Amino acid sequence: MLLKLAWKNIIKRPLSSGLSVVLLASSLMIILLAFLTMQQLEKKFNQNANKIDLVVGAKGSRLQLVLCNVFHVDNPTGNIKLSDVKFLSNHPFVKTYVPISLGDNYKSHRIVGTNQDFFKKLYKARLIQGKFFKKPYEVVLGYNAAIEMGLKQGDSFYSSHGIDASIHEHQDAKYYVVGLLDYSGEVIDNLILTSLESVWQVHSTDHQKGSFDLKYEKKHDHHHHNETIVNKDKEITALLINYNSPRAKFSLPGIINSKKQLMAAEPAIEIQQLLDLIQPGLKAVSILAWFIFGLAFFSMLMTMINSMKDRKYEIAMMRASGASPKLILISILTEGLLISFVGSVFGIVLGHTLMEIMGIYLTNHYHYQFSGFIFNSFELWLMLATLTTGFISAFFPAISAYNMDISKTLKKKT
Amino acid sequence: MILTKDLSISYGDKTINFPDLDVSTGNHLLILGRSGSGKTSLLNLLGGLVTPSSGYVTINQENIALLSNNKLDKFRGLHIGFVFQTPHFIKSLDVNDNLMLSQFLVGKRDQNHMDTLLEKVGLLNRKKEQLYKLSEGEKQRISIVRALINKPKIILADEPTSALDDHSCNIVIDLLKELSKENNAVLIIVTHDKRLKEKFEQFIDLDAA
Repeated sequence: MLLKLAWKNIIKRPLSSGLSVVLLASSLMIILLAFLTMQQLEKKFNQNANKIDLVVGAKGSRLQLVLCNVFHVDNPTGNIKLSDVKFLSNHPFVKTYVPISLGDNYKSHRIVGTNQDFFKKLYKARLIQGKFFKKPYEVVLGYNAAIEMGLKQGDSFYSSHGIDASIHEHQDAKYYVVGLLDYSGEVIDNLILTSLESVWQVHSTDHQKGSFDLKYEKKHDHHHHNETIVNKDKEITALLINYNSPRAKFSLPGIINSKKQLMAAEPAIEIQQLLDLIQPGLKAVSILAWFIFGLAFFSMLMTMINSMKDRKYEIAMMRASGASPKLILISILTEGLLISFVGSVFGIVLGHTLMEIMGIYLTNHYHYQFSGFIFNSFELWLMLATLTTGFISAFFPAISAYNMDISKTLKKKT
Repeated sequence: MILTKDLSISYGDKTINFPDLDVSTGNHLLILGRSGSGKTSLLNLLGGLVTPSSGYVTINQENIALLSNNKLDKFRGLHIGFVFQTPHFIKSLDVNDNLMLSQFLVGKRDQNHMDTLLEKVGLLNRKKEQLYKLSEGEKQRISIVRALINKPKIILADEPTSALDDHSCNIVIDLLKELSKENNAVLIIVTHDKRLKEKFEQFIDLDAA
């Protein structure tokens, strides 16, 4: 009955109650959105960054090197000669040594030339169908890549030049799907994996035929400037390394960076720096949202105070009908709690819905999974904070109703 | 049933003394007085809404001044029904829910009794109506139902007819008398409405006292 009374009192004032709910819900939505974005970004980044201790590539931006070769979102910094990094393959500090070579894509999924250590040692990926590639032009598809491309084992496709979707197709570079990988939630899900030889062959035949994509050339000329010697001195985009001992961290990057052609970047450090850049932005958004939250509190307080003014006769009447001051107090607090509860539920549902919608967009754009269906204990705290706000905004009107002089109130005629 | 002794109340340096009352079950009492004669104060004293400066009120041999605040609230809800000049209801609730709330406040639930009373005042078909759709006379009839909803021992009515025309006034007063008799409740009305004088055998004129 008390709940019903509180609810009816709220919907009796649809405008001011609505305003409070909208303000509460939108502030919670933004806070939650900023939080979820940061949390998922951090989680995804760290999850993938932790797989690889060190990336070795051509000189340029370290962050770019990491983004390109670990997360597969940015352009390569350039190519390096396989012979230049040969010394690392049996270096005592190196546990895993995985060269990768980028160059082509199919429907914007990158084709990564690499060796089997990529699955077996770095990502520990499992096949759900078929086998790992052996011969050139055999590919294994990541889970999402297979779904989005609509390809299955035994299918074939022509790749497109460049790492982003482009019009230019290698008409003679026909790939055959020989295996599909299981879902891992990591970046490998979005990749097309093949042998290094495939990538090398595609680009050497490309050169012989003289078919150049101008756009591609301009953007990615580093892939090509050494093509005449591609067979003599093979190139890769980067080398992914896992350390053998913790001490490697202190010496290996230094050794590599001292070489003119090479640069080493540690994903963990680069990602931390990137997150440090993003964080203040999201924090500013959160501060704005907390400000709206403050407005919501103010609006609720006003709603409650005004509503009490209108209802003092009702309350006096309830007192005369046997309601104790405590019951009146509880009924008004219930109202405040209820309205903040509705606001917080709306806010959290909206936040997750928007996150899911944004997630679909981000996933399409970055081949990077964001989800609105990840929940967190932070939300419980948000809800608790909101309910507290509702409680406080109802508290002052409730106290004045608690102390109301019934006989004086009833004596006044409306 | 209800008995008062040496009741008085002070507002600042003004003190109003009231004549002693003794009304037994099922009886009616009309208290007449002009504005400022203290008739509303008397009603508030009888209902335990204010505490007297001197004297006491006993209801069913219980001195209500000795009840704790909580007990007094409960006691009031169970044994006293109020009818005021302006009937106040919870605006957000319909007729039915307003009456149910009054039962809820004393921990009762008796839909039959509610319907019977609504039937008696001729408003059973308006049960699901919002209160602002009712006329003043109809509202006052609903407030009579509310006063009787928990089968109280005493009905205290403060100017129940002053805002009503002659026709409604008659209906309301007759209902008050009839229903309190049926429910074995004492009916005490305070008013300046001289129209009511002829309808009661017993009356006290505070102006004369």
